[in-house]
Amino acid sequence: MLSRRRAAVALVAVGSTVLATALVGLSSGSAVASSHREAPLISSDPPVDNTDVYAFVSPDRPDTVTLIANWFPFEEPNGGPTFYPWATDAHYDINIDNDGDAKADLTYRWDFRTDDRRGNATFLYNDGQVTSLDDPNLLFRQFYTLSLLNRDSGSTATLVSNGKVVPSRVGNGSMPDYWQLRDQSITAVPGGGQTFAGQSEDPFFLDLRVFDLLYGGNLSEVGQDTVAGYNVNTVALQVPKSALTLNGNATRNPVVGVWSDTERFSLTVRSPGSQQSSGAKVQVSRLGNPLVNEVVVPAGLKDRFNSMLPEQDGTVPALVNRVTNPELPVLIQRIYGIPAPPTPRNDLVEIFLTGITTKSGPAISLDLNSQLNNADVDPARFVPSEQLRLNTSIPPTANPNRLGVLGGDLQGFPNGRRLADDALDISLQAVEGAAVSGIVAPLAAGDQVDRNNVPFGSVFPYITLPNNTAVNRTLFDGDTVAPFGWPNFPTMPTLTGLLAVALIGSGVVLFRRQSRGIAWQTA
Amino acid sequence: MSARSARARALLVVGLGVGLLVLSVAALLPPATSTPATVAGGSTSTLDRRISAAQARLARQEQDPRTWAELGAAYVEKARITANPAYYPKAEGALRKSLAQQPDGNGPALTGMGALANARHDFAAARSFGEQAREVLPDTAEVYGVLTDAYTQLGDTEAATAALQRMLELKPGVSSFTRAAYEFELHGNVDDARHALDRALADAIDPADIAFCRYRLGELAFDNGDIDAAGRHYEAGLLVVPEDPPLLQGRAKVAAARGHTEEALAGYRDLVSRLPNTQYPQEYALLLTFAGEPENAERQYALIEQQEQLQAASGATDDLAASLVAADRGDAGQALERAQAEWSRRQPVFVADALAWALHLSGRDVEALTYADHAAGTGWRNATFFYHRGMILAGLGRDAEAVTALTEALRINPHFSPVEARTARATLANLRGAG
Repeated sequence: MLSRRRAAVALVAVGSTVLATALVGLSSGSAVASSHREAPLISSDPPVDNTDVYAFVSPDRPDTVTLIANWFPFEEPNGGPTFYPWATDAHYDINIDNDGDAKADLTYRWDFRTDDRRGNATFLYNDGQVTSLDDPNLLFRQFYTLSLLNRDSGSTATLVSNGKVVPSRVGNGSMPDYWQLRDQSITAVPGGGQTFAGQSEDPFFLDLRVFDLLYGGNLSEVGQDTVAGYNVNTVALQVPKSALTLNGNATRNPVVGVWSDTERFSLTVRSPGSQQSSGAKVQVSRLGNPLVNEVVVPAGLKDRFNSMLPEQDGTVPALVNRVTNPELPVLIQRIYGIPAPPTPRNDLVEIFLTGITTKSGPAISLDLNSQLNNADVDPARFVPSEQLRLNTSIPPTANPNRLGVLGGDLQGFPNGRRLADDALDISLQAVEGAAVSGIVAPLAAGDQVDRNNVPFGSVFPYITLPNNTAVNRTLFDGDTVAPFGWPNFPTMPTLTGLLAVALIGSGVVLFRRQSRGIAWQTA
Repeated sequence: MSARSARARALLVVGLGVGLLVLSVAALLPPATSTPATVAGGSTSTLDRRISAAQARLARQEQDPRTWAELGAAYVEKARITANPAYYPKAEGALRKSLAQQPDGNGPALTGMGALANARHDFAAARSFGEQAREVLPDTAEVYGVLTDAYTQLGDTEAATAALQRMLELKPGVSSFTRAAYEFELHGNVDDARHALDRALADAIDPADIAFCRYRLGELAFDNGDIDAAGRHYEAGLLVVPEDPPLLQGRAKVAAARGHTEEALAGYRDLVSRLPNTQYPQEYALLLTFAGEPENAERQYALIEQQEQLQAASGATDDLAASLVAADRGDAGQALERAQAEWSRRQPVFVADALAWALHLSGRDVEALTYADHAAGTGWRNATFFYHRGMILAGLGRDAEAVTALTEALRINPHFSPVEARTARATLANLRGAG
């Protein structure tokens, strides 16, 4: 994944103001104007960028496990003209390691294809109202094949052919009943499961600025859910526990490790020729634990980490050192005087690399979610690696605690991850040693974003419908199709003028709400 | 948040809005100078968000070398998309700030400096920054993008291929696929180039990237004589970015190739008013010459000279472009001088071709042929190269070979240049008549 911190879209108002000012301040040119041979260099690739993985025992079907993986960060609602398609030259994978050797035993793989009926006449996503997934007005459609790769037997089974992707939410005018479209897209999986692929509200909630401020030495600005209002692309899968667990036995072997990745086919220029220019598959993104880029992976290693397989994690000293000797507690000690826990941090090794178990050492006196606790696992073949580990034998609780294990609720993160687990506060507490010494009171408030801005569903796929209102309302008003580069796109000064008016307006609203005593969260 | 700080923030927001409004109004007023507007391509949302996010982070925390580097790199990208070199000094400022805050092992800033040097056509510096960046970030795709561009432009084909292959292995996507297309094209593999661009287009999300892929696909089709396919790509791109200057240039070129000269002239007239870089006035001037309007062509050449003086004043040189313009104008001495200057710095096939042509115009066909041979080194199916080669061979009296080369030029693309395609046909007729 892209670093969450780096990908953060800051306060749109303030950011745009600075940008607009910068543009207005441009002087006349100098140096060589660019030639059109120049290809993009830092072109972003969000369709294949993993953002989050969730794994939990299904609250309404406790004999099953739900796996959710998200891609494509910061999807602005109403983002025409192509909205947010899945890449069709990539594999979208959720991997399961149930024997602890850091290699995938099972891979659930979604491969997408596009049926683009727009022709050359229009670039619009739909032409009229879309009331079903088969509606002729829907001009851009995607389908998927869900395969199960059994890495031990080398066999591949096709679980779903021609699964229907629920389209990006274009707006109430175009899609008056989006619930219905999503319901239609949920597809049965042989063996008693179901799957979903399509757009959803980004279930993550956190104030990403915490990391800027921690690294920058000031924790005074918190409480803003940085990803509120944005959407992501989601695949979700619900299968019986026995489908995932070692030897199909969830009683003897309840622990599974989970991570998502994206692979894309490359090209080769070494031996050109029409038949040979298709290159190897490249893993371009990988994700297990949340915030792993912020907390675990060193800055210079982020690109490499995305390409690494979990079995390689232990061979990279810089990565292991960052777990045993993390940077964050040292910073916090310097700024807040809260003593950093002694190193090496074997508690963090358990949380991120082995799962929490007494079998790897005494750091945390709990047997929770390491594959080492599976009865049929050969400890000699166990290899530490960064995965999200879930003990499927812990039943869903009626009263989940957002702090998960640290809050005494063993069903939550870092035992798997539920949608409502407060990943940032848990991660912050965990690096401060809370798994050993309990919640660190001075930091208990965390980022002051304790829950998602919209509630989650109670049945599969649990995630919320995509947001339908532009995050930045000042640029694109209304919920009709608002394509990029529309004709008569306002000139920059006009845009900044609009922005200015909107800023003044929002400042006034802010003032009024404040006066009425209404908490205003998204300032 | 306390009531007081909320109120203060509300006031701040209003204040920012008022300030911005004043600036916006100021910006809408006619500029004091007569410099034409150069900002083009209004839809660069992801990049703009990247820039605003970096600026917001830096507003909270100014000591942040990584973010300064990201901001600098984003400005380089912005300059590319808008074709507005005014972003270069801003990019350099941000990158230098990053390097000042972290002088050692600052891979992102070195990568950005490399990208900036490439954009300013200082390819030797780009290579140096890129190699320094590689030391720090051996697994980062962007580093290899900088190196690919630098080595390609310096004519070090092997190093370029190696860097590009590494980039493709690290990050398959729009950036590496479009570079692969160029590599394939340079080596004469048109089908592979088209395939790579199709892949890039399929992966492109940003409107600016879609426009770029469509433009390159259009150019590839045009350069290989498929005017209809070229037109379809340019028009499809214009649906996404309606006023993208390169795509408008493609549309004008297609009109010219179809013999719709008035429409083509109108297209170029519009383009040069938007973006007076060297390329558009040069092509406009050629078309005006073809249409029998030499006085208007001269006005475009005067515009190009102004641009060059501006560039020279800022310390930048583009001798290759200057040589090509001089050749178009029939100024053999200037064409040769500038081509030799470029060749002294770098030796890629396109500089070899320019030098060969300048030598031919100077009546030095024996020397010209050695450079034409060099230009043919990678196997590029370039109609202009074949035309130049044919004219050189004709000058040497090697008529049969000249006929082959000129025939090949017109076979690759009968519309490669309005003026030169006409000359190629006339020369062919003469040679065949003589033979």
